[in-house]
Amino acid sequence: MIADTGNVKFTTRDVHVFYGAKEAIKGVDLDINNNEVTALIGPSGCGKSTYLRCLNRMNDTVDSARVTGTIELDGVDIYDRSVDVVQLRARVGMVFQKPNPFPKSIYENVAYGPRIHGLATKKSELDEVVETSLRKAGLWNEVNDRLDTQGTALSGGQQQRLCIARAIAVSPEVILMDEPCSALDPIATARVEELIDELRENYAIVIVTHSMQQAARVSQKTAFFHLGDLVEYGDTEDIFTNPREERTRDYITGRFG
Amino acid sequence: MTDTGKTPYFLSERAQKLVRKRYAAERRFRFYGLAMIILALAFLAVLFYTIISQGISGFVVTNIRLPVTFTAEALGVEPGATAEDLKGVSGFKYTKLARRSLNDYLGIPKGDTEDERLSRGLLSNGVDVQLRKILVNDPTLLGSTVEVWLLAHGSVDPFVKGQISRDLPENRRLINDQQMAWLEKLEHDGRVDLRFNSNLFTEGASADPELAGVGVALLGSFFMMVLVVLLALPLGVGAALYLEEFAPKNRFTDLVEVNINNLAAVPSIVFGILGLAVFINYAHLPRSAPIVGGLVLTLMTLPTVIIATRAAIRAVPPSIKEAALGVGASKMQAVFHHVLPLAMPGILTGLIIGLAQAMGETAPLIMVGMVAAVFDFPGSPMDPATALPVQIYIWSGLPERGFVALTSAAIMILLAFLLTMNATAVILRKRFERRW
Ligand SMILES: Nc1ncnc2c1ncn2[C@@H]1O[C@H](COP(=O)(O)OP(=O)(O)OP(=O)(O)O)[C@@H](O)[C@H]1O
Ligand SMILES: [Mg+2]
Repeated sequence: MIADTGNVKFTTRDVHVFYGAKEAIKGVDLDINNNEVTALIGPSGCGKSTYLRCLNRMNDTVDSARVTGTIELDGVDIYDRSVDVVQLRARVGMVFQKPNPFPKSIYENVAYGPRIHGLATKKSELDEVVETSLRKAGLWNEVNDRLDTQGTALSGGQQQRLCIARAIAVSPEVILMDEPCSALDPIATARVEELIDELRENYAIVIVTHSMQQAARVSQKTAFFHLGDLVEYGDTEDIFTNPREERTRDYITGRFG
Repeated sequence: MTDTGKTPYFLSERAQKLVRKRYAAERRFRFYGLAMIILALAFLAVLFYTIISQGISGFVVTNIRLPVTFTAEALGVEPGATAEDLKGVSGFKYTKLARRSLNDYLGIPKGDTEDERLSRGLLSNGVDVQLRKILVNDPTLLGSTVEVWLLAHGSVDPFVKGQISRDLPENRRLINDQQMAWLEKLEHDGRVDLRFNSNLFTEGASADPELAGVGVALLGSFFMMVLVVLLALPLGVGAALYLEEFAPKNRFTDLVEVNINNLAAVPSIVFGILGLAVFINYAHLPRSAPIVGGLVLTLMTLPTVIIATRAAIRAVPPSIKEAALGVGASKMQAVFHHVLPLAMPGILTGLIIGLAQAMGETAPLIMVGMVAAVFDFPGSPMDPATALPVQIYIWSGLPERGFVALTSAAIMILLAFLLTMNATAVILRKRFERRW
């Protein structure tokens, strides 16, 4: 189940994740390509979030979680002792299911990452990073006149785009998104989907979604998970028009899940 | 409503009865709640009434206005003496000056030993300090006669305030008929008045109620509170942060957690015994000193601060921390940049409540010897001092009428501090309340 080899960003082999004794991911082999959107779909509890959180080692924050197998970013095992998790997370940004801006100003939200990573030392540099990030996230025109208002005072869709701006402000190479639109209305969702399509040019994007339409709209590759197994992986078009596996067909036609 | 059994259930007799019962139960519950609150408020009102009605008289003290002539020869100084010279004059000479003016006013001739002895009983032992202060402030008064308000003796005060009846037989009064006659003459001439009792705030312990104050106790309490803040805040917050965010979850940390909760419930006197054993007997820190009291109170306050801090940290949504970690903040950065600032109002609230507890604590301070009568202000936390609640405890055991009023007055001062602190906690919580 390994597709294109030319432009691979993440290579994951035989990934198992255990929460205590419970095995949530049961040996997943999957490649994530650069400049593509990879959608992870599957019924609730199948381990999509768990797999996604392996890619920036967010599972480290869960005491009971244990990850085995190899996960390589540009050929380097990210679970190797020599890898600094902070640097890894700067390279692999994350957008969460529920918009979670810091309860600080819009400016501070975006500036926080660059500041702690020392990406911008002068105020003018920082201003520039904030502006370009907000522009890329398609939020600049809506907020440029009130950068010092609280990030939490924005609408849900704006908050989520602010979180995307915050993630891209540290110039990551990969962006992980865990159901980024589940708290948004259709219009805000459309904005974010547009944005994802634009961002694809510069990043590798992995998105978890419960919406088949969304997966079909924004992704180039789709991976279908079921009960901790990767059931099927391939070009989004193939998966949605001509799935090889019965379980995949049943899921995308809405027969279970 | 037919008897064909078609009545819908909710209209049936049974259902109606249930509804009535439900309403009655609700009414009863509301009534009980209201009654409890009224009862509690009534107790509070009675408490405040007793304390305030007794304490208010402690804030004023009887003064007698007398024309005092500051003669250079009576003070044993050259005319035109400097403030420095006047400061050096012995208190006894000032006292004699005050007595002379009283005797002159009452028409008691020099050498009339019995009357002279009796008239002394009208003036406080602290008049020398008063006169010296007046003269040192303005040395040009030397040689002139000035109308001065002088403190009356503590045995006079309750009669002026009407706390003890003047009709009592002479042998049951602290002042005899002659002294009473003088007092009434002075009152008749408008020379007796109740004036603000500044000694209450500026003086330390004294055997005379009109000269006693909570000054030393306030300073002692202040030293201890500063110590508690300086120690309990960093230690408590550090411990809580470590336990909540960094410590591995295992048997050992569970044990620590259980014990912290237990510590919060340990009677305060036990901390006093601990302080006595460790800080005084083992570490040889000075007895009766605010440093020891402060350390003991810190131990007592720590569990409160730790528990409040942990609760405050837990109340911060984990999504905030995840967001920080997600952009590549280290755990420490995430905690110190985001979690801690958001938890700060809760932490400060806990600290203030802990401080208020510590401020009102008596038993452990008695154990470490802060119950001594301290006359001089402590220059540092290493010098002997008392604390406000301990001062209240000491005064409450004294028989003189004057100290009864002082006890209540000191309680009022303590309550004022506690209310202010608690109000601050409430305001902090309101002001910084955040929505996510
Ligand atoms: N912190 C945790 N501790 C223990 N078990 C967990 C934890 N997080 C997830 N799990 C379990 O791991 C399995 C996979 O969970 P995961 O959150 O990855 O599912 P998901 O596919 O993202 O589901 P959803 O679509 O509902 O978000 C589930 O059975 C879940 O109960
Ligand atoms: Mg999930």
